[in-house]
Amino acid sequence: MASLVARFGWNIFWLGRYVERAEALARILDINETYARDKPEGPDWLRVLDLYSDTKRFKKTNGVADAASVSNFYVLDTNNFTSIASSIAAARGNARSVRHLISTEMWTHLNMFHNQIGKLTQNDIRLSNLSRVCTDIKFDCQSFEGIAEGTFFRGEAWCFYQMGKYLERADQTTRILDMGYDRITDVEDDGRDSIHWSVLLRSVAGYHAFRSLHPAGSSARDIASFLLYDQEFPRAVALCVDQISNRLQDLEKRHDHSRHARVEEARRSLAFTLETGLGQRVTSRRLHKFIDDLQIALGDVSAEIGKGYLLSG
Amino acid sequence: MFVILVVYLSLKPSARYLRIRMTNNRTTNPAKPANPFDAYDQGEYFCEMFGRNGLSHTRRIREQLTSMDSATFRRRSKDAERELFNLGITFTVYTDRDAIDRILPFDVIPRVLSRKDWRTIDAGVKQRVAALNLFLHDIYHDGKIFKDGIIPEALVRGNKNYRPEMEGFSPPQGTYVHICGTDLVRDEKGRFRVLEDNARTPSGVSYVIENRHLMMRAFPDLADGVPIMDVDDYGRRLMRAMSAVAPAGVSDPNVVILSPGVFNSAYFEHVFLAREMGGPLVEGQDLVVEQDKVYMRTTRGLEQVHVIYRRIDDEFLDPTAFNAKSMLGVPGLFEAYRKGNVTLANAVGTGVADDKAVYAYMPRIIRYYLDEDAIIENVPTNICREAEGLSKTLDNLDQLVTKPVGESGGYGVVIGPRASKRALSQLRAKLKADPNNFISQPLVSLSVSPTLIGGAVEPRHVDLRPFALTGDSTWVLPGGLTRVAMKRGSLIVNSSQGGGSKDTWVLG
Repeated sequence: MASLVARFGWNIFWLGRYVERAEALARILDINETYARDKPEGPDWLRVLDLYSDTKRFKKTNGVADAASVSNFYVLDTNNFTSIASSIAAARGNARSVRHLISTEMWTHLNMFHNQIGKLTQNDIRLSNLSRVCTDIKFDCQSFEGIAEGTFFRGEAWCFYQMGKYLERADQTTRILDMGYDRITDVEDDGRDSIHWSVLLRSVAGYHAFRSLHPAGSSARDIASFLLYDQEFPRAVALCVDQISNRLQDLEKRHDHSRHARVEEARRSLAFTLETGLGQRVTSRRLHKFIDDLQIALGDVSAEIGKGYLLSG
Repeated sequence: MFVILVVYLSLKPSARYLRIRMTNNRTTNPAKPANPFDAYDQGEYFCEMFGRNGLSHTRRIREQLTSMDSATFRRRSKDAERELFNLGITFTVYTDRDAIDRILPFDVIPRVLSRKDWRTIDAGVKQRVAALNLFLHDIYHDGKIFKDGIIPEALVRGNKNYRPEMEGFSPPQGTYVHICGTDLVRDEKGRFRVLEDNARTPSGVSYVIENRHLMMRAFPDLADGVPIMDVDDYGRRLMRAMSAVAPAGVSDPNVVILSPGVFNSAYFEHVFLAREMGGPLVEGQDLVVEQDKVYMRTTRGLEQVHVIYRRIDDEFLDPTAFNAKSMLGVPGLFEAYRKGNVTLANAVGTGVADDKAVYAYMPRIIRYYLDEDAIIENVPTNICREAEGLSKTLDNLDQLVTKPVGESGGYGVVIGPRASKRALSQLRAKLKADPNNFISQPLVSLSVSPTLIGGAVEPRHVDLRPFALTGDSTWVLPGGLTRVAMKRGSLIVNSSQGGGSKDTWVLG
């Protein structure tokens, strides 16, 4: 069997990222809407923009950050390259270019999903419908994942797909955590913000797992360490980093690749940041700084994988 | 029993009606529902399903089809359409800039060829491919055919698709046309005629195979007890043909498909071929030439490539040899090819053989190289570069079909009997200004095939493109692409002009 064409590896890597990104965005928009249900002034949409450092970009083409404009920016706006519509269009474009390497079922689902998104209108994403639309999008992303799990040949291409997916997932988990910490003042407090935290945990499908680990109540610090370090929680950063390490090992051991020193260095640096960075005393400010460091380390790994395997030759 | 019930109901509705309806609601409308074939009228044409008055080989299929009611038909047809949409089996239409992807309409009523029809087609296509390969070898070497006065040298060597760069070069196995698509039509008597050879990069084979899959899912019962020849073998046969023409000494060749990329109209087909062959689908940017060898950029660095099934025209293949502005090609590829380090399929310079002007000489070319008459005849053709052909054409412009020789895809074709006065006078001017660019043919009464239009079955004109693969020998895929002119009365079946397609069954 011939080796994987480097460009296809890159496209598959990003296919994994794009679908994961669309799912995470749907989760974030959904929580933000839910947070605000019992607040008379409604949700604070600047927060979502902040989370992705998109405020400047948003202001260039939009006026006030309200439900309609921010939802549009992140769901429908194809001029925003990180919107759900853009991500799914890019995922489909990538899938099209590697159509011969993925299963027909993966392609068909993504194609249908893309057609579905194309039909959405402003009215479909107005505040009262937003949660339902986000649920649908999440569901379509998850279906794609499931189809990939069940049909995608476990060759080299699969390794790149998985690495893309887990890098994006780790990055998005840090953003969701950031969003949660933004709203609290005291990380050791375990009473006041319980509704706030349960919404956040539910948004990442982690509520029940977390409750069974902490039946007696919990603090913001427990939640941070759950989202960052839990080895069993599929969206925890540590689990994602482990998955990336395993796929890099597969490339070497099962797919006959030589080790790339710079990829390995970036991976180690990421693992080191994750293990040591948070420190003993968690404050909101330190957490933000830590999350920034993590996001930079994740970005480095992504860039080095690209340079090492996919953009060379 | 049913009839009695109906009569009774129609006389005495009200109370009885309800009781009977509730006991057995299926008997309330026992009259046989309308069959979509009831109103079918093939007109003066040869019909692929009914012939002139009922073909024997289609009897069983006709019975199956006529036992289905309109609603079932429509529903199953819709299912097939939806499946096509979800699969994203689409192609690009250059003339419609807003519609990048469009579905090639699929008609659910198959076109059926008898065993006898197929024997003729199979032998006729093989004969034609053999002649084309010998012709190409000759014109790029000694040009005996010119010396013997069979075809004017100027017509061939002055053709824009003639590649002087190929002179003196011999491709492995003497094969130039590895993949050939021969367009056939059937006249009013049911005789096959060759309309055109496609010896460059003929497309459409993916539809042959996808249409079969679609058909078997939508109408599994229709093929009950009908022995249809398999089309699934194409990918393996293609791989075998490509391996047979690998450079000498390469036992396990690396075979790739070279595509212009995702925006090409046939991209879906390129994907399909890569999947069926199990080889990588690459673009120019994925290949690099070093020391006259071709390599592919992989995740492990460079890997040598031995055979390239290219779906890029000659002109764009290599900016250092042909069109310097090409962004699709691979610099240095042609030199690697000439050195024998890589095989291109089809060979460079085959376009001269499928040119519409050379087509007119094909019966003579076949006789010259093979000493045989053409098994499938041409449509009679006037060559406008010759005085006699031109005057015949100008005198009968309103009776003839006039075609520019350099175009493909049905562009620029003028059908005399259906053209306006203005269109004809424009054509007359063009003919006089550049007669070399045109041929003309009598209007063939293309055969029709029953086609589902709305809820009814109507006759629509069809053609047939069988596909032949040649490595060290030639194999013809049993079936081919049946294209349908979906507009009533239209004769233009090209997908780019709104044509559709049908599954083509060859009975074994």
